[in-house]
Amino acid sequence: MEDGKLSRWPMIAITVLRVLVGWHFLYEGIAKLSSPSWSAAGYLKQARGPFAGLFKSLAAQPDLLANADLITMWGLTAVGLLLILGLFTRLASLGAIGFILLFYLCNPPFVGYFYSIPSEGSYLIVNKNLVELGALLVILVSGSGLYAGLDRIVHGIVRRGSRFPTPWSGIA
Amino acid sequence: MAGEDDKGKATRQASAGGPRKLDRRDVLKGLSTVPAAGIFGYAWYKQHQYQQAKIQAAAAPVAPADLQPINIALLGAGAQGQVLTDAMLRIPGLRFRAVCDVWTEYNQRRVVNQLKKFNYEVNAYEDYREMLDKEKELDAVVVATPDFWHSQHAVDCLKAGKHVYCEKEMSNTLEGARAMVLAARETGKLLQIGHQRRSNPRYLHCYEKLLGEAKLLGRIVTISGQWNRAVTPDLGAPERYTIPDARLKQYGFKDMHQFRNWRWYKGLGGGPIVDLGSHQIDIYTWFLGVNPSHVIASGGQLYYDPKTHEWYDTAMVVYDYDTSAGPVKAYYQTQTTNGSLGYFENFMGDQGTLLISESEAHAAKVYRDTNAPAWDPWVQKGYITAPKVQEIKEKDETAVTDVRESVSPDEHKVPIVLRDPYHQPHLQNFFDAVRGKGKLNCPAEIGYESAVSVLKVNEAIEAKSRLSFKPEDFHI
Repeated sequence: MEDGKLSRWPMIAITVLRVLVGWHFLYEGIAKLSSPSWSAAGYLKQARGPFAGLFKSLAAQPDLLANADLITMWGLTAVGLLLILGLFTRLASLGAIGFILLFYLCNPPFVGYFYSIPSEGSYLIVNKNLVELGALLVILVSGSGLYAGLDRIVHGIVRRGSRFPTPWSGIA
Repeated sequence: MAGEDDKGKATRQASAGGPRKLDRRDVLKGLSTVPAAGIFGYAWYKQHQYQQAKIQAAAAPVAPADLQPINIALLGAGAQGQVLTDAMLRIPGLRFRAVCDVWTEYNQRRVVNQLKKFNYEVNAYEDYREMLDKEKELDAVVVATPDFWHSQHAVDCLKAGKHVYCEKEMSNTLEGARAMVLAARETGKLLQIGHQRRSNPRYLHCYEKLLGEAKLLGRIVTISGQWNRAVTPDLGAPERYTIPDARLKQYGFKDMHQFRNWRWYKGLGGGPIVDLGSHQIDIYTWFLGVNPSHVIASGGQLYYDPKTHEWYDTAMVVYDYDTSAGPVKAYYQTQTTNGSLGYFENFMGDQGTLLISESEAHAAKVYRDTNAPAWDPWVQKGYITAPKVQEIKEKDETAVTDVRESVSPDEHKVPIVLRDPYHQPHLQNFFDAVRGKGKLNCPAEIGYESAVSVLKVNEAIEAKSRLSFKPEDFHI
């Protein structure tokens, strides 16, 4: 790999990563959609840390909560599908980062905070949410959808050329 | 760049930034992750199938061939209606025919959709009279409307020839409750009141075996019980599901807030002593076998905004009972500002203590007092578990044991666990009775006696004095 370029294998690896993360999002969304009584309220009420008040107040307002539920269910599903397909990958990555950031801030494993529902591992500041966020950053900047994904086709059809220089496109 | 991509690099790089053609490689690479979506779809389909099979297996138990289905309707599809529906979906031999709820925008739709998933073709109604007119095949109606509607709903259903399961509190007024008892008598139809602990196998075991047969507690002298509920914010509703004012007024509600929080309003609900205390005070009476003779109570609006919470949020009550074995004092408290310790009833006799709760957190335990005869036979019979000996820990050297302190009694567990939803056995008892198998565990008369004991508490708080019951108060 030279400056600003990613060779074939790293791009394939990042594409695999994108599909995995997309799969995770898609199922999180679909599982919520197919459960009639799902609501973010329970999760929000468990909020810890510096932003807990904000999340809890969201749970207490039915109108806002209903919207938050819809946005979460459909948002996760859409973002997941787009990531798997590599369509509008940058937008989808940004959306996914937004979701993950909210999930992270809702229950951040900061020093002195604990989550009342037992978690499956041990975390200090860094948890799996943050790791997934890191993975999404890689997907965002690598332009993986333009390498292997529908973006490549859309891009070709729209014939606008490479509006964003991508590490793998060879433009240094 | 490396590998085969290098070959097309030159032309590609040259055209980067300008229009370029879509070649075969672009299409192949562009579609390369689409199969992943296909695999996901297949995996999700499999997962969905598995979950459906599990739900069906758990929820719709196969009814024996000779079991005649009972046609039922749900009247009141709110939170409690939902709890009852979930429990009924696990009972074999029921056929849901109709759901009635005035909140057509939300509650009604939710339960109808749920029942459709279980392949019940149910008709939805806003007006229960229309339901009774049209649904001629109904055998039974399950009523879970707000308390102030119970009487009218139950009476009209009984008069329409349906058996009725009605949630507690039977009614928010004694006149209402009385009308229900009379309607059940006149029509000869069954009316079960939803004091569901009366069918709970743990309570039945304690009543029949531990108190009745083994008499583990000796003579019961004192009782205490609590329901501690944490602060709960008022219930709201999304704007788009708001019920039009005209309909709210038609069904006796001032506005949407009152509709959602009717339990706190006088004339609609009975306050926490009725919502929470009623179940437990019913157990006092059941286990003692007599109705109370006196009640003294103190209550207050200590915490919530009295404008939207007309009832006492806290109540502390002492009942007197005259049992054949002697007098009993029974304390009860309910408060709605702290959920610690949950809810339980504690019966204390001169030989032992029974701590029991509907909640699995407490389940049931008995403690043998040192002067009681040995309980070994009952352990051998499996009525109670072998004791866990209560040791006095001496780690804390600053703690001084007072010589007047009694030796801690041994703790035995009551080995009865209810793995079904709490309301299922009581509903099952009702449907068994509809089929002519067995008697109701909480018929209208018993529900009435319980209502007399409980509704008197609000009266006693108001009166600030000790009120007495006459034996005839409990009978119609």
